[in-house]
Amino acid sequence: MSSSAAAADDPPDLICHLDSIHGMVDALTSVRWKRHQDAVLELSEHGIVVIVEESGCLQAKVYLKRELFLVYEYAAEGRPRFGMSLDLFVDGLNIFSALGPATVVEIRYPGPDMELILKTVDFPNGSLYAAIRTRILDTISWDYNFEPTGNVPISFTVKSALLKEAIEDLEWPGSSIQIVLQPDPPCVTFKGDGHGELQIDFPYYASTDLLIAFQCSRQVAYWYKYKFLRATTSNIPAGVLKDNRGSKLTIGRGGMLKIQHLVSVGRPGVPHPYGDNVGQPSRIAYIEFYVKAEEEQEDAPINDS
Amino acid sequence: MKFKAFFTSDGVNLLDKRFLPALDKLGRLCHMYLTRDHAMFLHNLFAADGVQSVAQFKKEILFRDYRISSQNDDRIAFAIDPALLHRALRSALTIQLQSGDDTAAIQIKLVKKLPAGSRNPAPFLTFETKGMRSAVVQDVPISKPLSRADVLQLQTALDAAQDLPQTLVQVPDLAQLQSLVDRLKNVGDVLTVAITQYGDLHLHVSTSLITVGSEFRELRVLGVHANAPASEQNLSALSRTAMAIQRDEAQSVQVSMKHLAKSLQCHSAKPDCVFYGIAPQGACLTVIFQFFIPGTRLMDKSISFHCRLPVLDSGSS
Repeated sequence: MSSSAAAADDPPDLICHLDSIHGMVDALTSVRWKRHQDAVLELSEHGIVVIVEESGCLQAKVYLKRELFLVYEYAAEGRPRFGMSLDLFVDGLNIFSALGPATVVEIRYPGPDMELILKTVDFPNGSLYAAIRTRILDTISWDYNFEPTGNVPISFTVKSALLKEAIEDLEWPGSSIQIVLQPDPPCVTFKGDGHGELQIDFPYYASTDLLIAFQCSRQVAYWYKYKFLRATTSNIPAGVLKDNRGSKLTIGRGGMLKIQHLVSVGRPGVPHPYGDNVGQPSRIAYIEFYVKAEEEQEDAPINDS
Repeated sequence: MKFKAFFTSDGVNLLDKRFLPALDKLGRLCHMYLTRDHAMFLHNLFAADGVQSVAQFKKEILFRDYRISSQNDDRIAFAIDPALLHRALRSALTIQLQSGDDTAAIQIKLVKKLPAGSRNPAPFLTFETKGMRSAVVQDVPISKPLSRADVLQLQTALDAAQDLPQTLVQVPDLAQLQSLVDRLKNVGDVLTVAITQYGDLHLHVSTSLITVGSEFRELRVLGVHANAPASEQNLSALSRTAMAIQRDEAQSVQVSMKHLAKSLQCHSAKPDCVFYGIAPQGACLTVIFQFFIPGTRLMDKSISFHCRLPVLDSGSS
C-alpha cells in the first residue's frame, strides 16, 4: 500500500489523451513491416517518438507531436526511452477503436510495473483498459546520422500512392534497386536489377502531378536493398494513400536515403483545441524512414565528397 | 418413419434471413431434430469441446400441415449441413417469387432415394416447390436418421443443456461486443469472463506481455441480483470483480476466444435481446438470445435460441 501511495504522489512521466485512435493506428501501421516487431518509445515535452529498425540498415521514426493529443502532461526529467512490442501497441490501441469514433484513450507511462497503460476516459457505463509490458533497452539504437549533401539537399517529392506503386512494380527484378537523380534533363529513375531489369522514370517535365518537387544539382546514383525500400511504403494503409499527400525522398551523405510520409491524425469534422479547424494542419504525424545505401556497387558516384 | 410439412411464409423468412446464416457460421454440421411439437437445430451436443447451440421453434411458427411419425415416439433426428439447407431454401424461395403465385408452397419431406450413380438408396430432405405452371424438386443430402439410442442420447444432452444460470446480464450492443472481441483475438487466445450480480460483465485477456480488460457496467440483470457496495466504486475493475467473487456475488470462467467469436456470429439471427450468464458450478458460459413478437416488446416464446461455451478452466468456481 505504501509503495503505491508513494507512486501516486509522483506524477507519472506522461499522461496524454488521444481522440483519434484511427489516425494513430494508421501512423504506427505504416512502420510495421513485419510481425513481431520491436519498437523503442522516446518521450519528451515535445511528444512521443516511436522508433523501429532492422539489421542496422533500415530505421523508421514516427513523430507524434504533443499537438496531436487533447491533453499532454509531461513530468519526466530527461527523455525516458523504453522498448515495447509494436504489434501489441498497435493491436492494443486498435481495440479501443471498437468502442466507436468518439472514444478518448488515456496513455500513461509508467504503470505500477513499468507498463504502458491505456484506458478509456469518461466512457459511459464501463471501461476498457490495457497494460503493455515494456522493457529496458539493452542496446543503444544505431544513430542514423543523416547529413544533407551541400547547401541544397538532393531531394524529390512524389505522391505517396505513386511511390508505393512504383516500388511494388519493382518487385519482380527484386534484389537491389538503384535510384538515380539527374539535373539535366531533370529526372528520377528507379532501376531494378535481379532476375531481370526494370526501369521506372519520373521525368520532371512530363507532368506536374508526377514529381511535386525536385532538387538536384548533380547526378547521384545509389543502390538499395529491395526489401528495405519496400518496407518504406508497403504498409501505408489505403486510407492514408487516399489523402493524396506527397512523400519526400532526400539523399544524404553516403547515399543515406530519407523518406518522409505524412499521416493525418485528425478526426474529420471535429474541432481541435490546438489546431485551427481548416484542415487541422497541426494534426499530422510525421513518419521518417532511413535506408542505408548498399556498398561496393560499381556505379557509385565518383564525386560524392 | 415419415415426415412432411409445408413451410409458412414466416418460417421461410425466419430461417432464410435470420437463423440459417447464424447456424451456418456455428458449424458445417448440425442436427435437425423434429418432435410432435418442435423443430430444433442443434450444434455440437455430443461434443464436449465446441460451442453448443440449441435453436428451437414451435412447429406452428415454421410449418403448416406438419405430419410426423416414427416408431420412436414420433421423434426424428438427422445430421444436415445448414449451408446446403439454406441454399435449397433460397432457391425454393426464388421459384416461389418467380411464379408470382401466392399458392405456390414449399413442402419439405424426408425421402429415401437412389442418388445418381449409386446403387444404395440414401436419405434426403426434399424441397418441393409447386407453382401454377412448374414444380421444382431439390434434394438436400442428410445423414441416416439417428437410431433410437442416439435420439435418446440427443434428448438427454438437450435436457442437460437447458439449465439456466442464476444471474444473467443483458449486453445492450452485440455489434460493439463483436468488434471488441474481433480485436481482442489479436491479443490472446483465452478470455476470462466474469459476471457479477450487480450487472457487471468483465472480459479480461492476459498474456506475459499484455493485459487487456473491458468492463460493461450497470447492465440489466435477470435472476439473482445484488447491489454493488458503494465503497468499492473507485477501485479497478479487476479488484472489484475479485472482491465480488470472494463474496459469492460473481462468477468467472475462462473460455476460448475462438468460441466466443463464433458464438457472436449468432448476431446474424438478429435477436432482440442477448443475455450472458455462467451456469451453476461454472459449467459453461451461456448466451441466451431472445426474440420479440413482431411489433411488440413481448418475448416470443415459440422461438428459443441459446449457446453454451465450454469452459477451459473452472476459474473461481
